[in-house]
Amino acid sequence: MSDHGHATHHHKESFFTKYVFSQDHKMIAKQYLLTAIVMGIVGIALSALFRLQLGWPDEKFGVMETLLGSGWAPDGVLDSNMYLGLVTMHGTIMVFMVLTGGLSGTFSNLLIPLQIGARDMASGLLNMISYWMFFLSSAIMLASLFIETGPAMAGWTIYPPLSVLEETQPGSGLGMTMWLLSISIFIASALLGGINYIVTIINLRTKGMRMTRLPLSIWTFFVTAILGLLSFPVLLSSALLLVMDRHMGTSFFLSDITTSNGALDQTGGSPVLFEHLFWFLGHPEVYIILLPALGISSEVIATNSRKPIFGYRAMIGSILAIGFLSFIVWGHHMFLTGMNPFLGGVFVFTTLLIAIPSAVKVFNYLTTLWKGNLVFTPAMLFSIGMVSTFISGGVTGIILADAALDISQHDTYFVVGHFHIVMGMSAILAMFAGVYHWFPKMYGKMMNKKLGYIHFWITITCGYGVFIPMHFLGEGGMPRRYYTNSEFPMFDHMIDLNIVISVFATVGVLSQLFFFWNFLYSALRGPKASQNPWRSNTLEWTSPVEHIHGNWPGDLPVVHRWPYDYSKPGQAEDFVMQNVPLEPGEEEH
Amino acid sequence: MENKFLIFIVVVLGVLALIQLVKVYEMTSKIRDDKTQENITPGENLSQASLFLVFMVALFGGTIYLMLEYGNGGLGSAASEHGVMIDDLLVFNWWIVLPVFFIMNGMLFIFAFLYRRDPERKPVYLVHNNKLEMIWTVVPAIILAAVIIYGLKTWNFIMNPEDEGTIIELYAKQFDWTARYSGEDNKLGKSNFKLVTGTNPLGVITTDGFSESYQKIDAEIDRLDSVLLANSIEKYVENVKTTEYLLPDGKVAEMSEKIERLKRQKYRIKSGLEIGRNADADDAMAANDVIVKGEMHLIVDKTYTFYFRSQDVLHCAWFPHFRAQMNCVPGMTTSFTLKPTITTKNMRLDEFVIDHYKNINNIHNERKRRIGEEEEVIDFDYILMCNKICGANHSNMQMKVIVETEAEYKNWIESQTRFDGGAVSYTAEAVAAEEVTQEIEE
Repeated sequence: MSDHGHATHHHKESFFTKYVFSQDHKMIAKQYLLTAIVMGIVGIALSALFRLQLGWPDEKFGVMETLLGSGWAPDGVLDSNMYLGLVTMHGTIMVFMVLTGGLSGTFSNLLIPLQIGARDMASGLLNMISYWMFFLSSAIMLASLFIETGPAMAGWTIYPPLSVLEETQPGSGLGMTMWLLSISIFIASALLGGINYIVTIINLRTKGMRMTRLPLSIWTFFVTAILGLLSFPVLLSSALLLVMDRHMGTSFFLSDITTSNGALDQTGGSPVLFEHLFWFLGHPEVYIILLPALGISSEVIATNSRKPIFGYRAMIGSILAIGFLSFIVWGHHMFLTGMNPFLGGVFVFTTLLIAIPSAVKVFNYLTTLWKGNLVFTPAMLFSIGMVSTFISGGVTGIILADAALDISQHDTYFVVGHFHIVMGMSAILAMFAGVYHWFPKMYGKMMNKKLGYIHFWITITCGYGVFIPMHFLGEGGMPRRYYTNSEFPMFDHMIDLNIVISVFATVGVLSQLFFFWNFLYSALRGPKASQNPWRSNTLEWTSPVEHIHGNWPGDLPVVHRWPYDYSKPGQAEDFVMQNVPLEPGEEEH
Repeated sequence: MENKFLIFIVVVLGVLALIQLVKVYEMTSKIRDDKTQENITPGENLSQASLFLVFMVALFGGTIYLMLEYGNGGLGSAASEHGVMIDDLLVFNWWIVLPVFFIMNGMLFIFAFLYRRDPERKPVYLVHNNKLEMIWTVVPAIILAAVIIYGLKTWNFIMNPEDEGTIIELYAKQFDWTARYSGEDNKLGKSNFKLVTGTNPLGVITTDGFSESYQKIDAEIDRLDSVLLANSIEKYVENVKTTEYLLPDGKVAEMSEKIERLKRQKYRIKSGLEIGRNADADDAMAANDVIVKGEMHLIVDKTYTFYFRSQDVLHCAWFPHFRAQMNCVPGMTTSFTLKPTITTKNMRLDEFVIDHYKNINNIHNERKRRIGEEEEVIDFDYILMCNKICGANHSNMQMKVIVETEAEYKNWIESQTRFDGGAVSYTAEAVAAEEVTQEIEE
């Protein structure tokens, strides 16, 4: 690209074009992050509320009535419909708004142009529209919490007929309409973003930035965007079919149903069809969340180990393999839907295959740490925490992938524990790692490391404290999404365990205040960051601390080497940035 | 009590946060331009590295404690033939999963401690190692092959039973279960959702079922008609007779539409279900069915196949003690075959169960006292619960299951009523088999 004039000749911007309708990828990244933080606060606050209910089902909580109103929590006792509403909204907000929109939106936007050496995204306008659609969908989702019949209550998987028939559940009225509207807009946003990421990575790499010199973070953002592009339209179409079933009398997902309104006219459809369509998105979605997390951790771990990431090419291979396999495993969510047992067997096979590239990634992380020179920045702590949760949550996946074992584990708390560790915690820890690591790039300031340490240790302790015990609830046969377990005396011996979980959950949620404070305070008044505070190799640290349109004054940097030349023998420093030319006689790696 | 505990935690955390915030404020305002936040001191590096070791001990200790205290304790041994296979497979999997969990996490945390920054040491510049990478691709692949083969063997055994055994239908609706025993002929009467009425809750297809259904539809049409009639005035506008309603237009349209729908439904039942059916055969198949609610009885060591149907939304039949589970899907019939192997009585005599339920009674009645309800004695019982989100009362959609000997079962089933209203007579299989051999001998 030879448009370095772009950087110097840009117009003076108004407040609106700079901070609100900005087309600059760095500002859009910050907008995504702030929106995700707000949604994250709501998402975890909802979980704290339903954990209060599950830990102490006989108590009355004033806070419940204050927050939810006397309609949904009369005298501080949570309504059982609203309990399902809280669970549904917690799942939806965390999965879509925080860990998809928030994670990819923030870091793909921030890092793709900066790490590949581009002035901006391929289309700044689409990027801006993508953010504002995300904002709109988040706003609609939040608004649905305040309507009289309550938010969507059918679980974040919104299986019909529960999500279609208002007479089966109040949340399937206006609440579900708003859910579907919000998610449809969200998908449009994700698609616009995804196309932009793909095009930018393919077309706008700077001179010398070969695909095999891309940082792993970019590789994961690339594959993530492809996954989103291929799978989100399927969810959009199933959402549209659901809208038709709800409002136009079609029967894509309905058949042979009798409700309080009598026998329905709709016959011939199947709820299982919806499950197939949903999980065709739903499973790649897990990796849409997880891959960027792995990419972020790769960067942070290599930088702070002062050592090249081990097996760079194997890492790329694993990312591609995981991306591909994620499309042919969705059926493992549906072993017990009455699916043909042979088909179930096929899904067992493909699902367990994913364990191989995942194991390769873990081994490579461990080898990267081995004999490194580890610097424990807050980001490094969160990244190591992420590798730990990826291991701990990943191994129980082996059990759930086994159709025969799924018979006794399906939809119990074992599943809840498993996916919260492997997907929820891993992704959120990596997201924190990313924020601590690239905060200097985003805001030109440093976050406070002591608060970061406190934040990390409380978060990982509480995270494990919540989700490891859940596996044991599941082994005891306890189903998920139960408003109370009091109707089943056989679960009484686990009352204590539920209290422990709720205490950890509450403390864990409150401890996020350390982060919010650190974030806000540092953004406003933190010490000024130097250009390359972590002494990292990638290109974003060659751009000036003060943000400018076009990212680099003058020419774009030219890349001469891969991003992981840490502690390379024969070099004076323990890092060599990507734009430093090879010395005569120096091998690339 | 717990409430106060929670508030206490909140307050403590709040105070801690506040203190820290003030400190931070002071620190950052003094050192605005220095690099303390960028450089990690050796002391900090050591303390964080050591915390990883502490954390590892806590994580492993906590997990092992939970395993000893709660590891599958709640459910006891599997009470069905295939359940034992599932448990064995689970144990086999745990033998792979747990070592991986401990070894990999252990390596991670120990590496974090061992290789903390030491300015004197130069890290190895290790880019890749094909041999190593080959090993850790192939070894997991081999282990997974074993997991897959063993798993699929079990899955195929469970899902392709040789013998269906006795057939029972489990019918799910918001928020309860109904069981329908197939009776002497071991055949369930046909059913259709359009025939569901108050007196025929499962929509079983019989001659009576049709007339009941027509009656219900006609009564509803009559009711709607009479409401419309009572609220209408006939008028002549320019010599054309028109009807005006005292109800809002929307309401009238809604009621007229409903009338049309009911008429359509009646037509569909007639043309689609009633005409051309083999009435005698259908009626006979349904007549000896036995419908029960509240509790379901099964004979020990006898194979059962459950057919699952749902009336409204997705449900899922979950028998935790039998390790059996299957979704109930409106519009299709799913099935699961199982053979209970331990009677409820024998389970109650099991040492583990006795101890466990002593504990459960203590906890249960402590709670009852606390919330001011009457104490009760809790005994072990098999249970069927719903395990797919289905609405407000999802958490209380249950049915008691009793496994007993054939003689006990005979007593129970003969106290029930057949679908056609007759008395149930149950011929024990052992007796039946004896009769058959006698006949052959004769």
